[in-house]
Amino acid sequence: MRKFWTLYSKEMLESLRSYRLVWIPVVFIILGIMQPLTTYYLPDILKASGDMPPGMLEGYEMPGAAAVMAQALGQYGTIGMLVLALAAMNSLAGERSSGSAELLMVKPIAPAVIIFAKWAAHLTVLFIALGLGAAAAGYYTVQLMGSLSVSDCLAAAGLYSLWLLSAVSLTLLFSAFMRGPAAAFLALLSAAGMSLLYSLLPSDFDWLPAALPDLSAGQLTEGSVAWFGPVLSAVLLILACIAGASMLMGRNKLPD
Amino acid sequence: MDKVNWGLIWPLVALQALLAIIGLFSLAKAEQVRGPKWLWVLILLFGNLLGSIAYFTIGRKES
Amino acid sequence: MTLLEVTGLSKSYGKQRSVDNISFVIEAGQCVALLGPNGAGKTTTLRMLAGLLPPSAGQISFNGSLPGTDYRKELGYLPQSPAMYRWMSGLEYVVFAAKLSGIPSREAAKVSAAALERVGLAAAGRRRIGGYSGGMKQRLGLAQALVHRPKLLLLDEPVSALDPIGRREVMELLREIRGETTVIFSTHVLHDAEEICDNVILMNQGTIAVQGELSELRQQYSLPVIRLSVETGSAAAGWLESLALKPFIQASQISGGKAVFNVADVALARRAILQEAVGLNIPLLHFEAGSSTLEDLFMKVVGS
Repeated sequence: MRKFWTLYSKEMLESLRSYRLVWIPVVFIILGIMQPLTTYYLPDILKASGDMPPGMLEGYEMPGAAAVMAQALGQYGTIGMLVLALAAMNSLAGERSSGSAELLMVKPIAPAVIIFAKWAAHLTVLFIALGLGAAAAGYYTVQLMGSLSVSDCLAAAGLYSLWLLSAVSLTLLFSAFMRGPAAAFLALLSAAGMSLLYSLLPSDFDWLPAALPDLSAGQLTEGSVAWFGPVLSAVLLILACIAGASMLMGRNKLPD
Repeated sequence: MDKVNWGLIWPLVALQALLAIIGLFSLAKAEQVRGPKWLWVLILLFGNLLGSIAYFTIGRKES
Repeated sequence: MTLLEVTGLSKSYGKQRSVDNISFVIEAGQCVALLGPNGAGKTTTLRMLAGLLPPSAGQISFNGSLPGTDYRKELGYLPQSPAMYRWMSGLEYVVFAAKLSGIPSREAAKVSAAALERVGLAAAGRRRIGGYSGGMKQRLGLAQALVHRPKLLLLDEPVSALDPIGRREVMELLREIRGETTVIFSTHVLHDAEEICDNVILMNQGTIAVQGELSELRQQYSLPVIRLSVETGSAAAGWLESLALKPFIQASQISGGKAVFNVADVALARRAILQEAVGLNIPLLHFEAGSSTLEDLFMKVVGS
């Protein structure tokens, strides 16, 4: 346990020194507040841009607060996930290729502890980023659109974070045996693949982690959702990623 | 709706600026980046959110 | 007391046998040089000893325990080019290494400061590793390998990548360290091995060519030889050729006015050769009677 803390603090110190602990949350906050702002000022922006056919704005109806909040969280599914995967891709792959993992592996530590500490550090960054981003998005939405249920927002953010964490965990798994960029690419591809399956056949694949973004939106607009299947499958996927990465790290050892 | 609420707009501008400043600071301290440094300065200054993200994710060589 | 017992250790990659059935025993307190040319299997051997590579065959028994027991706690390891986090300070890195070896935080801070002091990095401890020179990094590598007082220290080519100054610094440190713990270090330079160690394991192409105490090996492999050189372009070259046919000379190597003769009796050969040289008025430049060196042995092993 003490060694876990040692490794975890080292990961967090690296996050801080590489500014990852700062720039990722800032990006999430910007993404979060941009959505309510652009939605609210869209008519003005369009008007300002000039040549617009008259009458186009007549049908424009300001979406409700819940819908805007859901869209704001939806921003994290694209740029947010990309940022998290790219930021996580080198944490294990880089250590393996540079040789600093070699110096870790001669210490009396189980590979699982090394992996788990890395995963926990990424989880921390994700929570801070998503927490601040969702809070900022909520604040702006309330200011511009109207009131939101705090508990629904929390639940929605929680569901969304589980989806993002799945992608980060996949990145960690792939980077245990691939180069960083390839690992991030494959992880994003897997996430996109799951999303595609879910969007093509929603009733067959509504248990996939890829259903989580929809659930998160549903939580805001409808207030309650059947979350059990996707949450369970996401947790299992994440656990499998950690276990798989630990095994690979222990067995595959290091490049020769 | 006619009156723009600047109180809500300026934090967005400030955060974008903060991101660019952190990027420039890290760029100044970095020994090595992918591609020429001056290009990243331009990207950070004029590339908005995506420019900053690009610098932090692919511009830096992690060690 | 036996610290390390290696039996039949092998590592193959596909058909290629990188390390081929080697066995050796290392006593506690010894300093052993793993000597051999590049590609002899030294690094692979060290990495198997460090638990970084699973052996294809063979056993490693540490401190009398059953083979397969995890002894990483008692191990200090310095790879050929240690990759330490550039964004950490030297002190932070050593503290990190100490804690991972199981030393509690407060003590870790204390022993780490001492280890840095030890390798002469006390003043640089707060600086980032990214700004360290090659010699400083190697000394920091030694500090992290030593901080938990390991029973066995494995060093892979600790000085070969360094400039002469860095090399000197690290060699001085090794000389001190070998008195405190058991050291195995690999090198392709015989001189480095002779400078620090009493024992060598000479490897070539994955096998052990020769192993033992340096002083014994010196005796065992000393052959009586006579080296001489003459002015080139004189009639002396022909004289060297004629000497090679003398009955007291068993083998000879002659090139460009220089000759090395293996002889049965040094005293007899010396007298005969010098007498002839005086009689024939040979312009001798150099004459040496003695024994072959480890350098010759090393070259012979490496060359074959």
